[in-house]
Amino acid sequence: MGIIVNLDVMMAKRKISAGELAERIGITPANLSILKNNKAKAIRFSTLEALCRELKCQPGDILEFSDDNETE
Amino acid sequence: MDWNKDKSVMLSRVCIVVFAILLAAADIGAYWLVSWFMGVSRTLGGLRDGYLLLTTVYSCSVFAWILLVNLWKLLANIQRGMPFETSSVNYLRVSSWCCAGVCTICLLSTLYYTPLILVSIASGFMALIVRIIKNVFEQAIAMKTELDYTV
Repeated sequence: MGIIVNLDVMMAKRKISAGELAERIGITPANLSILKNNKAKAIRFSTLEALCRELKCQPGDILEFSDDNETE
Repeated sequence: MDWNKDKSVMLSRVCIVVFAILLAAADIGAYWLVSWFMGVSRTLGGLRDGYLLLTTVYSCSVFAWILLVNLWKLLANIQRGMPFETSSVNYLRVSSWCCAGVCTICLLSTLYYTPLILVSIASGFMALIVRIIKNVFEQAIAMKTELDYTV
């Protein structure tokens, strides 16, 4: 799995909708959906910064590393 | 004249049409073309050489038609603003194999007419160039996909 994006968890904790968050951080809802569904191949520092600012959290709260070999 | 990329693609399309017309003319008039060439050539002579040359011309023509169709489709992708698609790589791959096909046919044809080695080398070199362009396209598509999924 590699890097897991726990954006939906943080969004639920902060009670914020995808549309509202996308508008606040200045990305399209489609791109936020890509990020939320773990489809993204990379994330810009500027996007991560905006997410942390709006969700009042640390990058580690949004991103998580999962070792594939450990689970096998 | 205000030159832009659309006009450049259009020029390429016109060139393909011109080549298609020339190829069609060569296909239709191949018999007379070969007869004339047999007349002026010092090394070629006899019915056997004539038929062999005609076979070479027609078999190369098949590859040339496939090549032109693929280039036309590639230009259509470019005109739609989507050159970096998997289909473009396929078109370039087929084009490269067409050049390699002509290279092989001409190489075999040197058994009866040695100067065809020049055509064989030229088309072999062209196959190599198109193949490298195909590799570049493959890399560009991978980079584009990554960029598309960078948020």
